[in-house]
Amino acid sequence: MKNFTYYQPTSVPQALGLLSDKWGATEILAGGTDLLDLTKEYVAQPDRVVSITGIPNLIGIQSEGDAVRIGATTKLAAIADHSELRQLFPALTTAAGMVGGPQIRNMGTIGGNLCQRNRCWYFRDEEVLCLLKGGDKCYALDGENIYHAIFTQGHKCVMVNPSTLAPPLIALGATVELVGPQAQRTVELAKFFVAPASAAEHETVLQPNEILTRVTIPQKGLKSASYEIRQKQSYDWPLVQAAVAFQLNGGKASNVSIVLGHVGPTPVIATAAAQALEGKAINEDTAAAAGEAATQGAKPLSQTGYKVRLAQVAVKRAILTAAGGQKYWEA
Amino acid sequence: MQSKTRKPLVAWPKQRRLIGKDVQRVDGPEKSTGTAKYSFDINRPGMLHAQILRCPYAHAKIKKIDTSAAEKIPGFAALHMIASEGAELDYAGAEVLAIAADTEEHVQDALRAVRVEYEVLPFLVKEEDALKNPSLKTVSGRDPSNVSKPTLADEGDVDAAYKEADAVVEGEYGVATVCHHCLEPHGLVAEWPKEGSVKLRVWCSVQATRNVAAGLAKEFDLGPTEVECLTDYMGGGYGSKFGPDVQGIACSHLAKKTGRPVKLMLTREAEITTAGNRPSAYGRVKMAGKKDGTITAYEVDCYGTPGATGRATVNFAMLPYVYKDAIPNYRLKHTVILTNCGAARAMRAPGHPQNCLLTDTCLDDLAAKLGLDPMEVRLKNLPKNVPSAVRDYPLSWNAVRETIYRDEIAIAAKLAKWKEKWHPPGEGGKGPIKYGIGMALHTWGGGAAGGDPPLNECTVIISRDGSVTAQSSTQDLGTGQRTVTAMVVAEILGLEPHEVFADIGNSSYGQSTGSGGSTTCPSQAPSALRAAIGARDQLFAKIAKKLGAKPENLAIEPGKVVDTATGKSVPWKKACAMLGMDEVRVKLGWSSVYANEVDDEGKLVTPGVSNLQVGGVQIAEVRVDTETGQVFCDHIVAVQDVGMVVNKLLCESQVAGGVIMAVNYALLEDRIMDRHTGRQVNPDMEFYKLAGIQDIPRITVHMHDMPERGVIGIGEPPTISTAAAISNAIFNAIGVRVSHAPFTPDKVLAALAQKGGKA
Repeated sequence: MKNFTYYQPTSVPQALGLLSDKWGATEILAGGTDLLDLTKEYVAQPDRVVSITGIPNLIGIQSEGDAVRIGATTKLAAIADHSELRQLFPALTTAAGMVGGPQIRNMGTIGGNLCQRNRCWYFRDEEVLCLLKGGDKCYALDGENIYHAIFTQGHKCVMVNPSTLAPPLIALGATVELVGPQAQRTVELAKFFVAPASAAEHETVLQPNEILTRVTIPQKGLKSASYEIRQKQSYDWPLVQAAVAFQLNGGKASNVSIVLGHVGPTPVIATAAAQALEGKAINEDTAAAAGEAATQGAKPLSQTGYKVRLAQVAVKRAILTAAGGQKYWEA
Repeated sequence: MQSKTRKPLVAWPKQRRLIGKDVQRVDGPEKSTGTAKYSFDINRPGMLHAQILRCPYAHAKIKKIDTSAAEKIPGFAALHMIASEGAELDYAGAEVLAIAADTEEHVQDALRAVRVEYEVLPFLVKEEDALKNPSLKTVSGRDPSNVSKPTLADEGDVDAAYKEADAVVEGEYGVATVCHHCLEPHGLVAEWPKEGSVKLRVWCSVQATRNVAAGLAKEFDLGPTEVECLTDYMGGGYGSKFGPDVQGIACSHLAKKTGRPVKLMLTREAEITTAGNRPSAYGRVKMAGKKDGTITAYEVDCYGTPGATGRATVNFAMLPYVYKDAIPNYRLKHTVILTNCGAARAMRAPGHPQNCLLTDTCLDDLAAKLGLDPMEVRLKNLPKNVPSAVRDYPLSWNAVRETIYRDEIAIAAKLAKWKEKWHPPGEGGKGPIKYGIGMALHTWGGGAAGGDPPLNECTVIISRDGSVTAQSSTQDLGTGQRTVTAMVVAEILGLEPHEVFADIGNSSYGQSTGSGGSTTCPSQAPSALRAAIGARDQLFAKIAKKLGAKPENLAIEPGKVVDTATGKSVPWKKACAMLGMDEVRVKLGWSSVYANEVDDEGKLVTPGVSNLQVGGVQIAEVRVDTETGQVFCDHIVAVQDVGMVVNKLLCESQVAGGVIMAVNYALLEDRIMDRHTGRQVNPDMEFYKLAGIQDIPRITVHMHDMPERGVIGIGEPPTISTAAAISNAIFNAIGVRVSHAPFTPDKVLAALAQKGGKA
């Protein structure tokens, strides 16, 4: 990796003072599970690395009134193992417990999981000048794209957003605090992710001089679940992921939210799927119907057609899991 | 050859205390506590680090190389040119030059400061693209085009057999190119000692210490004893680590230029893209058979790519796999396709897994069409025991092959509950999860490596303090050879395995061959046996007088030397102390020449010490999620003969390791090349997928011990048939063939959709 100057500020204002208003020159370091890879691959070549793990108030899980706040540098393992979170937000803790392997979960943080760069193999290969690195084309469009997007309409870059915490958090109605040099803003996580199309853009609305400090999840008594379909059960990215959350009254679902992961450049909020389930009793048929609705508008690439089917099944199984019924697919 | 003597050279002891039992690895504690030092762990005083600059393009000519900026990077020590200006490079990853510097980071900085101007040339990295443009030539070398003239073979009358058959099936089968992915990458530390008789010493991760020493001696015009290669421990080779390679030569040059030790271990990316792979194999296979399950004709038209150079992909001479001798009519065609990719190297049973996936799968499709249990079809078409072999060489493969397969199929079927679990294809359950079971067979050589004088030697040294050392230049590439050597010597000398110091992996310790073809144990175990017996007898001769005994009356019992005439015994250490200032030192060897030596009547002089050729049967049980296309391999039964089992625990470990490698082959591994950039998109451990602990099935290993046959190698056979058995199990579960491995969700769903379409 390229040489850089390392900083370890002890407060958010100190850290903000070290950031730059352009991407590239300065990088924020939390668990390092993504940034280290990026620098070793020379995809990121910062002059300055600002570690935020020395800032004490960025870590921890707290219940405050009707919400739970999770500090940005809270480890994935701490989230996965947290008994209260497991009860309140099983979608989140399930997803956190399946990220990478134990080493990744012991280092990786919730903030890092939301802000990480995408895993597209063209983006990660220094020798390939893709759209996100100042090039003029997305190599995945007519190249090797078996792990890429199925929701491609309107996107110049067809990578998939790699965050597996984002879909459950969006489904649960979470917000994130972004602190900048002048102000602090609260952003709905549903509006946090964007599809980048150039080197000047990242996967989120976070600005280069801002820090994501915490995630807030409202407590609404929702049933929730996250379901991943993977090739490997150990240490792998999901091929697709579905997160669902809904209220269950008298066996019927309301306030339904369904979010797909690893199918588009941003997490995909499946509004039609949620509508399909709204007010319905939950059973295999209604869950399957919601699954079908979830892939409306999908436009898969040459090698991602199979993911449409996977997304439908993931939604169906996530709904049935959240409702606590029998898992027909388990041996 | 004709014998000079009719007396057998050696025999295994009839009563065996250690051999054939479970003996733990003597170096287990070192390996599990991290005190075992691999080449990557070697750090010498004043050592420099080196890496290689590689061509980023799939095909290019070097126009100009400017290293001036690199040489000004802090810490830069030396540079070694590998390719020169004007050179044509055939794949992304081809070596250009190597640089040594004081730290790994400075090496990176220096490599990135080198300016190379390339003329980028046309390239092809996918087999199908080359087949579409058969006249294109995008690799250097003499071949007129990337697509070679097919190799053909023909026997009997295939077309007539089709006409007379009760059923004919034809299908598409195949498997992707996969990489060796050694956990310890290729590489070494090289040092030119300032004094002593060794001029160049290397600590090299290699499966042939002698080849490395010889290769470097040649490069630097040194005598055979002036280069020493040390390989105490190594983290996997699988057939890809037989020589010094480009990095070995470059690293040694850098060490010579700088007068300092230099370490050069390949990066993970280089390990995958440049250090070998198992070639792809794709093809159409057609089979015909009779109602009773007799296979009457077999036809294979296949192709594959060994990368930018090379000739072999499948093992053409052994198609159709296993059943060849039983099938009267066959027609074979094989096309080698050169592509701008890293070159193939031998990989654990070269050609065999591809053969097995091509033809031992089509057999199940034929069985399905005939309405038969594929196990019965296998039993019907086994190659017969050859009568002349039964008469003249009763321990040879040809004398026992049908018997071995029959016995092993019966054992495997029982262990897997085949009769209970097998069902007609597609009847794998009512819900979306379908269960299936599948079988496949394999065969492999694994005899002693050749030579007279023998190319595999062992020296046994007994010291007066009772310590015993067994020296050999052979290497332990993970198979447990160090333990095998120790336990064989311990067996003969009445000791425990840990009481013998197996000092192996040093090229200066006599002759040995590379650990390829599963030849190490059948070469080295008999060498250790002969040397241990020789040492025992020399000890008896040297101490008999002091014991007041005749040497021929002395014998070994555990921990002691016994005078069989008087029944008196002396503890081992006390007996050895009688050597006084003397020691015992015996070097003896073994080879295929010794194993195959016949007397005037054509009978083997020394039968049953080592042997050649094994069978093997595997059964896979899978679960297929038909909604997601996921395949879960739940259980593998592996029944394996290996002649005489030397160490049951190590044999079972080898089988389990082979199975795990092949579960990856069946379900996960795929070297994915990009046709636009010419680069591999997954040269890593992220998207080049390998099983983790949760992906590994239950593995039931049964060693089919045949001690009378003598020792045969075990490394390769157990990785051959697993993938075909998994393919057959998937077919059994869902009733449709998934043509190409790896059997990933996209391919399984596509096959299911096709089946649905037909119905």
